[in-house]
Amino acid sequence: MHDPMSSRLDELERLTRDYARYSRSAGGLASVLGGAFALLAYLAGGLLPLTPALRIVLVMLPLAWVLARQWLMRRYYQRYGRVEEQAPLSVRVTHRLCVVTVVGVAIWVTYAVTSQPRPLNAGDYGYLALVWLLAPVVWFWLRSPLDFIVGTFLFCQAAVTCAGFTYPVLGTSAAAANPPMALMTVMFPLVAVVFIVAGVVEHRHFLALRERMARLRDGATA
Amino acid sequence: MSAPSRIGEVMALDRLVHEPARLLILAVLANAKEVEFGFLEQVSGLSKGNLSSHMSKLEAGGLIEVKKSFRGKRPLTELRITTAGRKALADYRQRLAAVMQELPDTPATRKS
Repeated sequence: MHDPMSSRLDELERLTRDYARYSRSAGGLASVLGGAFALLAYLAGGLLPLTPALRIVLVMLPLAWVLARQWLMRRYYQRYGRVEEQAPLSVRVTHRLCVVTVVGVAIWVTYAVTSQPRPLNAGDYGYLALVWLLAPVVWFWLRSPLDFIVGTFLFCQAAVTCAGFTYPVLGTSAAAANPPMALMTVMFPLVAVVFIVAGVVEHRHFLALRERMARLRDGATA
Repeated sequence: MSAPSRIGEVMALDRLVHEPARLLILAVLANAKEVEFGFLEQVSGLSKGNLSSHMSKLEAGGLIEVKKSFRGKRPLTELRITTAGRKALADYRQRLAAVMQELPDTPATRKS
């Protein structure tokens, strides 16, 4: 089928799929923000003294990011109406595995924290609350692999901050005391940079998509 | 293909799907899990009334599902294609492609 109607339908189908990506797999500016927050949390948490003000900032970062992300998706990227992406089965299965992993870790962490001989303090409760909050956040909002990694890091950094710690940054004395943890957490700033670059690319695609939508609409009403 | 069988193929096209506005609605819905009315209105260039009328026909034919609710005080209409709708659209495209392939060249197409 190569008539104008078919060409228009093909373009409409492509456009719908591209637009729908901003409901789930594409974050655009939200990814840029998430990457920037992850870098900030990693560097500030590892290099600055853990003052009460910094603790509040680190705890608020993941919540602020999730809210900003939802706002951007609904009010900016999908302002013409929500179109939910049709994720392939493999992506849906991966997402469910992520949720199951988070719940499993939350159960294990809860057991580890509550089985300590000392009584729990406010920091411990904050830690557990954030660890458990991650499960519904992953289920509802962090549905792409990059979203999951960055979101998980932000929540984990917030949770350990509640308990009075932060993840060590390579090259610091804290990293020398715990090299495996410092090596493991170095992936988060690296992923954050990838996330920022991906976000910029997605945002540029969105600007092009907006032009395509305008052209299609003009063609329809002409 | 002989002329009568071509006519038969054309007559066999699903009329519920064949109408351009309804075809457009189905094409959009087939590429997403769920679509809000506003997006369809935006990309189709159709008026609310026209779109609603076609939606109702597709819903009555069992090709789409329409969910009406409220977001705050604003009415919200969400649509999704059914399995029957997906099948009808795939069948339609297949049949139309076959018909188009069998059509004789017109002077315009011969030139190109």
